[in-house]
Amino acid sequence: MKKFFASLYDLTSFSFRFFKEGAVPPYEIGEFAGHLENFGSRSLPLVSAIGLLMGLILALQTKPTFERFGAESFLPAMVAISVVRELGPVITALIVAGRVSGGIGAEIASMKVTEQIDALEVSSVDPYRYLVVPRVLAGIFALPLLTAYADLLSIIGAFIVMYVTGDMGWQLFTTSTLHSLSIADVVPGIAKTFVFGFIIAIVGSYFGFRAKGGTEGVGKAATSAVVFASFLVIVTDLVLVKIGILIFE
Amino acid sequence: MIEITRLVKSFGSLNVLKGMEMRVEKGEIFSILGKSGSGKSVTLKCIVGLVVPDAGDIVVDSVRVDADDRKSLAAVRKKIGYLFQGGALYDSMTILDNLIFNLSRHRKMQRSEAADRSRHYLSLVGLKESLNKLPSELSGGMKKRAALARALVIEPEILLCDEPTTGLDPITSREISELIGSLHQQFHVTAIVVTHDILCAGILSDRAGVLDDGMLKYTGSIKELAAIQDEEVAGYFKSPLQ
Repeated sequence: MKKFFASLYDLTSFSFRFFKEGAVPPYEIGEFAGHLENFGSRSLPLVSAIGLLMGLILALQTKPTFERFGAESFLPAMVAISVVRELGPVITALIVAGRVSGGIGAEIASMKVTEQIDALEVSSVDPYRYLVVPRVLAGIFALPLLTAYADLLSIIGAFIVMYVTGDMGWQLFTTSTLHSLSIADVVPGIAKTFVFGFIIAIVGSYFGFRAKGGTEGVGKAATSAVVFASFLVIVTDLVLVKIGILIFE
Repeated sequence: MIEITRLVKSFGSLNVLKGMEMRVEKGEIFSILGKSGSGKSVTLKCIVGLVVPDAGDIVVDSVRVDADDRKSLAAVRKKIGYLFQGGALYDSMTILDNLIFNLSRHRKMQRSEAADRSRHYLSLVGLKESLNKLPSELSGGMKKRAALARALVIEPEILLCDEPTTGLDPITSREISELIGSLHQQFHVTAIVVTHDILCAGILSDRAGVLDDGMLKYTGSIKELAAIQDEEVAGYFKSPLQ
């Protein structure tokens, strides 16, 4: 337990360093663009599939219950609100945590154990600014966009279910969906993805920098990054949901 | 000139350096011999501020190495080319880009100028044909050559070599040692070579010292060391066939 809190303290100091180092030039624009591609476009196929499936499953699962109460017309609203407020941001963050956080952890850990980070330092390059800041910025920028895209695909998935079962046409579906969503649903849902993007990148980087030993250390860093980033996303979500309610409700 | 005074470094309960003293004159090649875990690499890392000593002083050309003083540390690092034990080439970059990156960061040089100089140094180490290869596509010897070119491309005043021949076959070891020697003659750098390969030390060094029990013992030329009647030192000079 003592070790866990020591790690949490370390991670917090490591995270706060971002705000200090990120503001100071030189800005690694090229690195940022590369990591944005890794975070964003390379995650697109997986996020697309999961986003669409999420909408399909949610609609299929809840449709019989809504039918029982004669409330099928509320299904688009239910899907839209639950996806935009909660499921979209959290599921997208968990997918990206699994795909990217482990990758960042392994990549930086491998640089650590092969002395590449030492080589950066000797070359007058601050490893934190060069390796961590661009990755975290990429996470902060990419995750909201990925989430908005996953939300949209989920809603389309729900429409497919409604359309195939012949319950609703496109116009009625979109009208029902758009009328059900308010600023209080969209803003907190998207706002928390900035925090999730930060968590995913910073946790991956932290475990990478902490890696010791050889290939075993690299594997451990990757696994710890995925587990801890996913855990932190869920815990942070709990806090942000409460804050969202306090502000918008 | 590099001067180390009463250097102490421990890792937990393991006391690696226990008051080490060393002085390397300008233009000299000094080899540190020692068993694995004797603190040879730690000494080099203390000189560039990668490891912070518990006590003692390191002065490089009148500048005290202080890990807390970023400015003085940067000034010291600008003078130093470092050849890492495993090469430490950036594995996401080609060999040429490894050198260009080092130059552009170290010397704030424009890319085209850095590329020209990098090509020149890669041809000096015999890697003219491998400019666009990734480190993973190179053999152990080629990686060492590329890493050596990366260390030298900034035209440092001081070269620190950490086990330049470890993991290489005897022929390649000799080639690398001779290459470092010939580059030293061309560029007149001050060099510290950490090794347990007596052949490498013999080819390169003006002087050498044996690091044992956290202290540098028996410094002198390789010939002088070979004459010392100490089992620890004599062990380095025994032929493997004896």
